[in-house]
Amino acid sequence: MRNPFVAGPDGRVTPAQAVASYLIVCAAVIGFFWLSLAMAGIALDFGFVARFRQRIADGLLLTLGISAASLVASLAIGVPVAVGQGSRVLPVRYLCDLYVKLIRGTPLLAQIYLFFYIVGTAWGVENRLVAGVIILSVFSGAYIAEIVRGSLSSLDAGQLEAARAVGFTRAQVLRYVVVPQLVSRTLPALTGQFASIVKDSSLLSVIAVIELTQTMQEISASTFNLFGTYFVLAGLYLVLTLPIMFVSRWFERRLSYAH
Amino acid sequence: MSIANAAFSRRALIASAVAAAAATAGVSGCSTASGGAGSSAGSNAGSRTLVVGMELAYPPFETRDDAGEPTGVSVTFMRDFAEEYGYDLRIENMGFDGLIPSLQTASADCVMSSITITDEREEQVDFTDPYAVAQLAILANASSGISSIDDLNQAGRTVAVKTGSTGDVYATNNLDQAEILRLADESACVTEVSQGRADGFLYDQLTIYRNQLANPDTTVAVYIPFQDPEYWGIAVQQGDDELREELNAFIAESKRNGEFDKLTETYLADEKAAFDELGFRWFFDFDEGSDAGEGA
Amino acid sequence: MRIELEGVGHAFGGEPVLAGVDFDDDVSTLAIIGPSGGGKSTLLRIVGGLMAPTEGTVRVGGAEIPREEAALARYRATLGFVFQDGGLFHHLTARENIALPLRAVHGLSEGAARERADGLLARFGLEGEGDKYPAQLSGGQRQRVAIARAVAPRPRMLLLDEPTSALDPEYTTEVLDLLRDLKDEGTRFIAVTHEMGFARHACDKVAFLSGGRMAECGPSAEVFAHPRTPELRRFLGKLLEWSV
Repeated sequence: MRNPFVAGPDGRVTPAQAVASYLIVCAAVIGFFWLSLAMAGIALDFGFVARFRQRIADGLLLTLGISAASLVASLAIGVPVAVGQGSRVLPVRYLCDLYVKLIRGTPLLAQIYLFFYIVGTAWGVENRLVAGVIILSVFSGAYIAEIVRGSLSSLDAGQLEAARAVGFTRAQVLRYVVVPQLVSRTLPALTGQFASIVKDSSLLSVIAVIELTQTMQEISASTFNLFGTYFVLAGLYLVLTLPIMFVSRWFERRLSYAH
Repeated sequence: MSIANAAFSRRALIASAVAAAAATAGVSGCSTASGGAGSSAGSNAGSRTLVVGMELAYPPFETRDDAGEPTGVSVTFMRDFAEEYGYDLRIENMGFDGLIPSLQTASADCVMSSITITDEREEQVDFTDPYAVAQLAILANASSGISSIDDLNQAGRTVAVKTGSTGDVYATNNLDQAEILRLADESACVTEVSQGRADGFLYDQLTIYRNQLANPDTTVAVYIPFQDPEYWGIAVQQGDDELREELNAFIAESKRNGEFDKLTETYLADEKAAFDELGFRWFFDFDEGSDAGEGA
Repeated sequence: MRIELEGVGHAFGGEPVLAGVDFDDDVSTLAIIGPSGGGKSTLLRIVGGLMAPTEGTVRVGGAEIPREEAALARYRATLGFVFQDGGLFHHLTARENIALPLRAVHGLSEGAARERADGLLARFGLEGEGDKYPAQLSGGQRQRVAIARAVAPRPRMLLLDEPTSALDPEYTTEVLDLLRDLKDEGTRFIAVTHEMGFARHACDKVAFLSGGRMAECGPSAEVFAHPRTPELRRFLGKLLEWSV
C-alpha cells in the first residue's frame, strides 16, 4: 500500500494525502503554540473582540482597501519602471535603477516617516490615508519593477522571431506572445506581492492610519491585553494573506507551461 | 530634534500592558516564590550586597556617563542609601520589560527606574512610598493659539498622543471633543505638532519641556492643572518588608533633609528653573495638591 | 517560384557575413549547405523577410520584399518558417500553435482553424498530442508541430533553418521523412541543412555557401557528384570522413 505521508515518485499527491498531512502539520503547530502558552503561563482572553468588533471590522476593511489601491498604483509605477530600466535614454534608465535600489535598500519605516513628514508636508499631502497609499505604492512599485524586469529579460528572442515569422503584426506579437508570456511569468509573483503589501500596510500605523494594526494597537493599549490582541491581529492578517498565497500558487500551477 | 528623555509614560504603558496581560494570564509561580526572599538584605551591616535593577536609558534619572559608568538621579540616590545603610551597591542595567521579572526571579533586590506605581504592578511586586511625582503637559503648536487644555479639547482640534501612554489615557478619558491621533513614536508626535498637523501633544512635563526647547519657534509648552499625578516608587520583591522599610525611611528622610534638592541641583538645575517658570509641578514637590501627602 | 538575389550582402556590427550573393533561379526545393558561420541562416532570414540585407536586392515570386512593417508582415505570412528549435510558442498548446496564426493572420474561423490544425496533427502522427504544451513533447514531436504550423496556411514556400540540427538521430529521420513526403506532394521549400543525404536526395537543387559567398549552385545530383570548387570538395570530404 502506498505510504500516506510520502508523495508519489512522480511528485503526485492525492487530495486525501494532502488533507491528512496538512491536518497533522496544523495540529503540530497549534500544539506547539498551546504548549508555549501553557509553559509561559499565559491564558489568552479574546473577550475584547466582541466589544470592539466594529472597530476591528473597520480596520480590516481599511487594510484591504489600502492594499488593493496600493496594488493598482504600484503596478502603474512598477511596469513603466521595469521598461525604463532597459531604456536607451540613460538618465531614464539610471533614474529607474536608482529608484529601485533606494526603495529596496531602505526600510519601509524610514520611507514612511521621511515621505510623510518631509515630502508630504512640503507638497501638501495632508490626508494620512492618501499619503499611506502613495508611500506603500512607491515602496511596492520597486518590487513589482523587479518582478516585471525579471520576466521581461526572460522573454526569448526566438519566440519573438517566431512570432514575426508566422506573420503577426507588431501589435499581434505583443498581444499574442509578449503579454501572455509576461503575464504567466509575473502573475504568481505579483499575487505574492499583494500578500506582502497587505502585511507591509501594517507599518502605516506609525503615521496613525487607523488600519488593522493601528486599531489593534489602540485596543491593546486600552485593554492591556497585549497577547490577545496580537493573536487576533496575526490571525486576521492570515485570513487575508493565506487565500492570496493560495491563489498565487494556483496561478503558478495553472500558468506554468515550462514543464 | 531632541529625543524625548524621561519617557516614563511610555514605560508606564508598556510595562502595564505586559503586567496586565501577565496578570490576566495568571502568570507563573515566580511571584509567590520570591515571597520570603529578601536575599541579600541580611541583618548584619557591612558586607550586604544590594542589587538594584535600572534601565540606564532615561537621563538624567537613570543613565550612563561618557565613560559608561551608571549615573543620574536614581544612581546617586541609591548610592547614598547604600552608604547610609551599609550595603555594597551593585547596579544591574536591564531592559525596562525585564525589571519586574528580575525581582520575581530574585536576580535583583530592588528596582529604581522611574517606574510609576500602578495596581497591576502592585500585584507582582511591592512598592515603596513615592519618591517623585510626574505630570502631563501639552506641547502646542505655536500658531494654534492653544493656551490651556480646554483650548485643545474642541471639535476640529487634533491631539497627538503616544499610543497607550498616560497621555493617551488622559486624552481618551478627558478630551471628548478633540480628535485623538495615536502614534507609536514620541518624535513623530512632536513632528506632528511642530508641522501643524496636530494642535497639541500630551506627554510628560520633562519631555514636553525638552522638545519645546528643541523647537522654540514652532511650539509652546502648556501646563495642565487639576490632573491626577503619577507617582514613582522603588519596587522590591513581594514580602521583602525589611528592605522596603529601610527605603521608605530613607525616602522620608531625603524629603526632609534636602537630599532631593541636592539631586535636583546636580542633575536637573535648568529643568527646575524652567518648570518653575512654566508653572509645572516639580518631580520632588509633594506639598502641592490634595493627595500629595501620600508618600510623606 | 522564382528567387532573385542581386549583390546581396549583410554585415553584423561591421563584420560581413554575406557578400555579393547573386542567385536567380526557379526554386521548388533548394538545400543551402556549407560550413558553420558561412551565412546560411542569414541568407534564409533575408529571403524570409525577417532581416533586411545591408546591401543588394531580393525579389521573391517577381516582387521585391517590402520594407514597410505592415506589408512585411503580410509578406512573411505567405511563407512558412521552421526554426532549428521549432520556435513553437511556449505558452500555447500544440493545437493553438497551429490554429492561432490561422485565425489571427489568415482570417480562418475558430472552427475551421481548429479543424485544420487537428487534421495536420493527425496526418503528422500527432493525434492526441494537441492539448500538450511544447515542453511536454519530444524534440521530434515539437519539430513536426512546427512543420504543421508552417504548412497550415498553405504558404507559397517553406523556409527551414536547420530543422534537424537540435534533434537526436532517431527524431532526425522522422522529420526528414515528413519533409520528403511534403516535397512529393509538391510543397516548395528552401532548407538550410547539415544533412547531406537529405540535400542530395530530397532537394532538387543545392547552393553551397562558404565565407559569405555563394561558391557553387546547381542541381543536387550534379553538384554532389562533381563538385567544381576546392571548397566544396574539402567540405564534402570532411563530412565523408566518418560516414559508414
